[in-house]
Amino acid sequence: MLLNSIIIIPIIASLLIGFLGKDYLRLNYFIALSSSLIVFLLSLYLLYLFDPLSTEYQFQTQMNWITRFNIQYFIGIDGISLPLILLTTFITPLVIITSNTSQKKGLHQYLAAFLILETLMIGVFSSLDAFLFYIFWEAMLIPMFIIIGVWGGKNRIYATVKFFLYTFLGSVFMLLALIYLYFKTGSYAINDFYNANLSLNEQIIIFLAFLFAFGVKIPMWPVHTWLPDAHVEAPTGGSVILAAILLKMGGYGFLRFSLPIATEGAVYLSGFMIVLSLIAIIYIGMVAIAQNDMKKLIAYSSISHMGFVTLGCFVYLYSSNDSLNLETANLAINGAMIQMISHGLISSALFLCIGVMYDRLHTRKISDYGGVITVMPKFGALMVFFALSNAALPGASGFVGEFIIILASFKINAWIATMAATTLVIGAFYTLWMVKRVIFGSVENNKINTLKEINFTESLPLCLLALSILALGLWPNPLFDLMFNSINVLSELILSKAS
Amino acid sequence: MSITELRLLAPEIIIASGICVLVLIKSIHSLRSISLLPVLIGALTPLVALLSIVSTFNNPYEIILNGQVVIDTLGSGLKITAYGLSILIILATNINQLNNKSELILIELFALLGISILCSASNLLVIYLGLETLSLSLYGLVASNRKSVKSSEAAMKYFVLGSIASGLFLYGVSLIYGLYGSINILDFNNLSVDTSIELQIAIGFIICGIVFKFGAFPFHSWVPDSYQGSTNSVALFISTLPKIGAFALLYRLLIDSFYSLSSLWSLFLLILGIASLIFGNIVALSQNQIRRLLGYSTIGHIGFILIAISASNQIAIESSLIYLLIYIIMTLATFIALEVLSSDNKSIDTITDLKGLNNSHPWVALMLLFCMFSMIGIPPFIGFYAKWIVLSTLLNSDMIYAAIIAIIITVIAAYYYLRIVWYMYFEKSDIPLMKNTSNLIQKSLLFTIGSSLLLLGLFPEKLISVISQLFDQIY
Repeated sequence: MLLNSIIIIPIIASLLIGFLGKDYLRLNYFIALSSSLIVFLLSLYLLYLFDPLSTEYQFQTQMNWITRFNIQYFIGIDGISLPLILLTTFITPLVIITSNTSQKKGLHQYLAAFLILETLMIGVFSSLDAFLFYIFWEAMLIPMFIIIGVWGGKNRIYATVKFFLYTFLGSVFMLLALIYLYFKTGSYAINDFYNANLSLNEQIIIFLAFLFAFGVKIPMWPVHTWLPDAHVEAPTGGSVILAAILLKMGGYGFLRFSLPIATEGAVYLSGFMIVLSLIAIIYIGMVAIAQNDMKKLIAYSSISHMGFVTLGCFVYLYSSNDSLNLETANLAINGAMIQMISHGLISSALFLCIGVMYDRLHTRKISDYGGVITVMPKFGALMVFFALSNAALPGASGFVGEFIIILASFKINAWIATMAATTLVIGAFYTLWMVKRVIFGSVENNKINTLKEINFTESLPLCLLALSILALGLWPNPLFDLMFNSINVLSELILSKAS
Repeated sequence: MSITELRLLAPEIIIASGICVLVLIKSIHSLRSISLLPVLIGALTPLVALLSIVSTFNNPYEIILNGQVVIDTLGSGLKITAYGLSILIILATNINQLNNKSELILIELFALLGISILCSASNLLVIYLGLETLSLSLYGLVASNRKSVKSSEAAMKYFVLGSIASGLFLYGVSLIYGLYGSINILDFNNLSVDTSIELQIAIGFIICGIVFKFGAFPFHSWVPDSYQGSTNSVALFISTLPKIGAFALLYRLLIDSFYSLSSLWSLFLLILGIASLIFGNIVALSQNQIRRLLGYSTIGHIGFILIAISASNQIAIESSLIYLLIYIIMTLATFIALEVLSSDNKSIDTITDLKGLNNSHPWVALMLLFCMFSMIGIPPFIGFYAKWIVLSTLLNSDMIYAAIIAIIITVIAAYYYLRIVWYMYFEKSDIPLMKNTSNLIQKSLLFTIGSSLLLLGLFPEKLISVISQLFDQIY
């Protein structure tokens, strides 16, 4: 019941806002903010009730939906989905708080779109029925398409159509794979898919179909090109949700679908996946250096960081000797999860920072800025902190995930680990260089002097994000404890199916 | 003719008498001033027919009039859909427009009669009779927009092509008679597969007739023209109701009678289906005239239906009917939305007319958004289930390549539906859209049908199970 209400409250609030219309601006804002805060508090209560020692899905609800095809409304969470749900319910109120300052035109529709998005995102992370998962997954395209297209920048239409078509193309192949699995198992329940009896060829094809969907979403090189466009054109809130949560759904999909269902396919293609991840980490990182638009730079840095997630998901399958190691698998998947959460926090903070500057000067070009810290000292300090976290400074959460994944890669192959570790240099290069040109340096542009220090509604989300990044970086143990059992079950399943 | 037979034929009799009354009324000059009367008859006739059929719905499978007419649940279900739909269409049309041309109602009733006959005919000649009643009224409907040159051109094209298709169909029928010495379709139930060239030609000709009625490739060229040339309400009529007739025709001929020859006709349908899917959707990408665009999109949807039928098993027929019904609901909502936005002197013609719709008419824009995403096949809208159920059928029948072609074309087709959404939501209008004169009935219809796209999508169980019940008597 608790999980159901978390899913349904945002959409009810969005209906309310839709019916109130554009005349009740303050009331709409209040409804949106309070409903998203209620959802956040409920999800904290969910965390309190969650039993990390259990290996079962918790808070299950199971109801028949389309009996003819054995489709159920079947939801529940485990230690893998709960952190992502918490991330969603944490980021959404932050986005809604900032919407007040940066968004004027059609605020009620903007808020409604984000609330609908929140419902769908939580739905994706809690579906245990593949059909239901697909509905949530695909429906998310609609509000996102509208958000980028209506409130985006100059080139928004190109960006949003590209985003839509890319992700749609990816996910229809997943639909075919799901239907195929249904005919194999007679059910759409994900757990039944785990027991499907598939030959190696079938597994490879199903793995590739899933790869289309999740690889585009995460995104992996070479299907990443929609992301920089979408990020640059999206309004601040859209970029934040896109970077913080939408990308994570790709990683979640790998953990929930690709790895346990098409395990042999994953083992067979693990080398391929590792190469793609390394290309994302190194090559896209270098691409990020060359950017002169701040949002684009962070977008490329997101792709590069998500490369670590895919590396963590697949590296332990690539082992020259036949014995796959449970400990390495646990370590790598834990690293991937931490990396997802931490990237969700850091990238949304950076996009919020860029949004703050964009609201003032209406430009995202690095060369238009310089010496921001002299007029906005508080903001400058926060931005520097987020940049350092993005560069994986020890003590910030970014370091934990990347370190663990590099550690796990080392147990498999020193070369993979070494190449992945270059990100510590490349990442530091592009983020710190951007910070140097934007925050520090001399004031090149007279307009900089007119900048106002951030106000309360702008600084509150940034401070909360900074605190959580720091907390996760210094003391990640509670998160590990939360995830440990579920990840252990998952990697045992993967390893038993792989051998 | 016994009383039971009369009772079973009640819908056709009611419609025919409705037509007679309408003709009489129109000939009495003094009654012209009571302008609502034809509209009333146009709405009441299908309603009474609908009620009469509901009372006999659970009748067992029966063949009456010496094997010329068959009464079964599928035929009755199709009739109910057609009658209900025609009521909705008449309600959705601007009253003023109907007043000026009350012949429209007469022709629409004739078309409805043709569809009724097609739904329960079990004799090749009766089928032909129904087909021609339907076709001739459609020619009239397409030509009804007398002010438009496009309309006359479209009617001419439609008439010429339609006559050829009818001729081919009739030739196919006569070949069948020559081969088997019977025109009763129930005699063809258990034919052994025979690859004689005559039979192949006959089946091919009959398929031409069917495919023409559907408006699929290569007999599609009348579709976009006739949509563009006619008004929104006429386009709504010709894009929905005749497809029910076409489905009945296909069902009676290919499934009810020549099912044992499915190896002969399924390949035909598969090729034509894939061709219309590709052709319709690719050409639609470059259209700006909105009804023309919807015309090409219809060709694409029909392609999906034909591909589904070509799998030629029970689930395939069911899923194609589900697809057809969902297509009808979506088309209905889309055209009603366009009709709501049109005023007497200006109708929505090009996509650019929709610019800034979200600012001037946010709720209508939302309904059109539902329609467009539903047509793309994005859940949770009902259009998704149409695509999904057809894809399931294809995978179940090992037609994986057809499924892959279908989904790739679906993604390509998404582009032109998205274009409509982007004009409504992302562009600002240069000229504010005129105040609309639509009445309350039209608006409430729009919101009921539009939101049913979402509600049926959230609870699709009922729709799917109702349709599969229609097939209970046959299998």
